[in-house]
Amino acid sequence: METFDYIKPKSLDDAIDALNRYENAFLLAGGTDLLVGMKYNSKKPDCIIDIKELPRMNTFEFNEGWRFGALTTVRDIEVSDQLKQTMPFLGQAAQALGSIQIRNRATLGGNLCNASPCANFGAMFLAMDATLKILSKDGERQMPLQDFFTGPNQTALKKGEVLTEIIIPEDAGCTEGVFLKHSVGKSNDLGLVAIAITLDREPGTDMCRKIAIAMGAVAPTPMRAKQAEAVLTNNRLTPDLITRAAQEASNEAVPISDFRATADYRKALVKAMVAKGINTLLAAS
Amino acid sequence: MIKKYPVRVNVNGDDYEVQVDPRKTLLQFLREDLDLTGTKEGCDEGDCGACSVILNNKVVSSCLVLAVEADNAVIETIEGVKTGEELHPVQQAFVDSGAIQCGFCTPGMVVTTKAMLLEMPNPSTREIKEYLAGNLCRCTGYVKILDAVENAKEILNKG
Repeated sequence: METFDYIKPKSLDDAIDALNRYENAFLLAGGTDLLVGMKYNSKKPDCIIDIKELPRMNTFEFNEGWRFGALTTVRDIEVSDQLKQTMPFLGQAAQALGSIQIRNRATLGGNLCNASPCANFGAMFLAMDATLKILSKDGERQMPLQDFFTGPNQTALKKGEVLTEIIIPEDAGCTEGVFLKHSVGKSNDLGLVAIAITLDREPGTDMCRKIAIAMGAVAPTPMRAKQAEAVLTNNRLTPDLITRAAQEASNEAVPISDFRATADYRKALVKAMVAKGINTLLAAS
Repeated sequence: MIKKYPVRVNVNGDDYEVQVDPRKTLLQFLREDLDLTGTKEGCDEGDCGACSVILNNKVVSSCLVLAVEADNAVIETIEGVKTGEELHPVQQAFVDSGAIQCGFCTPGMVVTTKAMLLEMPNPSTREIKEYLAGNLCRCTGYVKILDAVENAKEILNKG
């Protein structure tokens, strides 16, 4: 590994300044993806900007929608009583991410910015219609998460930009949700397929007002199953319709074959897991 | 000339002030600079748990932390688990349960178990399995390790 400068900025402005000053600077949050990339020489920083102790970025609150600081750790999401009561599916997505040793370090912002096709919070936050707050020397901009992922490990972030906050709008309709991951081992392995679903329905009925279905590890980026959603929106979630939607989602998925699974197997998993996810939500009421 | 960075760190109760190469992981720093070789390098990419240490009260994979990041941190390694010459109850439980075969994973298992019991004194069997899921053992099949953790839990809860 080539050596690099190490900077621990006192403020976001200092971090952005360093990002602009170096050719190939990387922000270090939890480091659980970055360090692996550096060891394999797929990431060759000339500067590491350690932002993990920057103030006010490692917590979350409800304030005109949910706002998650990009440095919130995955473990903090997993153990939050407040989130268990309001959005337990976030805890499911957290718990399905790596080991406790990883979750104690890994951050929400890092999970999104690393932009793995199987990033748990990529799929989960896509299903929550998340918006990202992005800061640069020119000021702040917002971007729907839908537009953020541009390819495997690639995002729409430009040089000198920092993801600071993940915002779930108040009207996102995430009253219910579920996160499912299927992997060969039961514990830490990357998922063959991940499914995140949020549902808004008429209380006490199976009438779907809005549903969001996101899929991980079945395309170059986490993606929404828009056709499947269209099948279900404003309809009753009957067994027949759920089967049809699950098939649509499977058709929309464009997975690769690799050492973990074949593309056909992943498509079959999508069909099974989308149906299972919706049925889990229906059974919980 | 590689630029080095100042790090002040407390490891197992001892304060150190050192200059480190920014490329050095916390694992390498502990083993090579402080000669604390109880912490093991297994996969060196955060999958096996052999390098587990407690960093500011949280169990982490020390192979995925840079030594420079540990500036101002408090770290406990396997060498700091015992009290004086007495084995910690978690260590004693591993001995008593025969939870050790080759021993390579044992430091990480013990450190992670200690971190777990500090965080939740009375975990269920399922919670234990989930907490230890990041610590791989290639010898035992885990049964005796889980026995040891259950025993340690009981001993510590009796006080």
